[in-house]
Amino acid sequence: MADERLEYHIYEVFAQESQMAPAVHQFSLLASSPDMALILAKENFLRRQKAWSVWVVRRDHIHRTGPAEAEMFDRMDKTYRETEGYRYLKEKWRRYKQEPLTAQGMT
Amino acid sequence: MTARIETPAQALADPTCRQALVELLFQLADDDLVLGHRDSEWVGLAPHIEEDVAFASIAQDEVGHAAAYYGLLVDLGEAESADALAYSRPPDAWRCALLLERPNGPGHYLENPQFDWGYTIARHYLYDLFEMVRLEALVESAYLPLAQLAAKVRREERYHLLHMETWVKRLARHSSVSRARLQAGLEKAWVDLYGLFSLGPEGPAMAALGLLPGGRDRLWQTWRERAQTLFAEAGLPWPGDPSPVMLDGRAGRHSADLEALLGPLTEVYRLDPTARW
Repeated sequence: MADERLEYHIYEVFAQESQMAPAVHQFSLLASSPDMALILAKENFLRRQKAWSVWVVRRDHIHRTGPAEAEMFDRMDKTYRETEGYRYLKEKWRRYKQEPLTAQGMT
Repeated sequence: MTARIETPAQALADPTCRQALVELLFQLADDDLVLGHRDSEWVGLAPHIEEDVAFASIAQDEVGHAAAYYGLLVDLGEAESADALAYSRPPDAWRCALLLERPNGPGHYLENPQFDWGYTIARHYLYDLFEMVRLEALVESAYLPLAQLAAKVRREERYHLLHMETWVKRLARHSSVSRARLQAGLEKAWVDLYGLFSLGPEGPAMAALGLLPGGRDRLWQTWRERAQTLFAEAGLPWPGDPSPVMLDGRAGRHSADLEALLGPLTEVYRLDPTARW
């Protein structure tokens, strides 16, 4: 009991709607300990909303990139890495099914 | 083996049973309503905003539980409505324990409230543990509608108890100031503690008929065992067995605190008791 001051921290609260659901960020709150953050999360925000599990994490325990680092996610056109980049395949298949493959350009 | 009582009509058929059951339901309802009202007096005053909201939400739960118990009394023909039972009885018709009617601290909610968080947490923890032990007995009650209601109430009360336990451990362990305030609160609550376990003149019948299985002895023994476990965990000295109290709220004998509480609690109802809400 050396420290006489009560230290409050911001906690980020996540909740899972069911056992298989992802933990989704809900809100943040101020609490003096993780166990206190859990009970406060329940009484403050999870009275009406369906929840299966709630997680609390001290905000200063979360490591994140800031606005300055947002550029690292910029990239050149690399649609071949996404399904979007293969949209033309559908049209291609349709055409091949209609017109049996012939040796084009070979006359 | 006690006989199952499945309907209000069956309970009313036996005058001994009816009387014991009505007394028990008033104890359950009045405890929750009076403490719920005390909790509501923390709105805007709790130590921080998150706790303020949490306490208000616990207050609503307590009032909701009281309304459900009054509903069972309405089914037994005690009144037309739960509101009539909650708002129109004189103090000597109330069956809450004195511990629950005590104010949160000096001052008045609207005028210079100097409320005591240490006492509030101490009192609420002692009561919530008692309520949990009582609900565990009530889920086995011979009166089926009460057993069914107790099972529902117990689900919510589990979290009230967890809330208060968390606070008790926090205050006990945090600093010399918080610990001293908690201990002062426990000492103050201990003065009224004996009365919490009184079941009033109908207590023996409640146990014998299986309305409250195990009666007072079961409540006290289970409660003491669990309270001692938490005290040990929190490093709090056990204050010893409580001494008998002068006024037994279960017998309708109350302090002036109840009358002071009923004023604001009933003032809107009294404006027009026939109003429909």
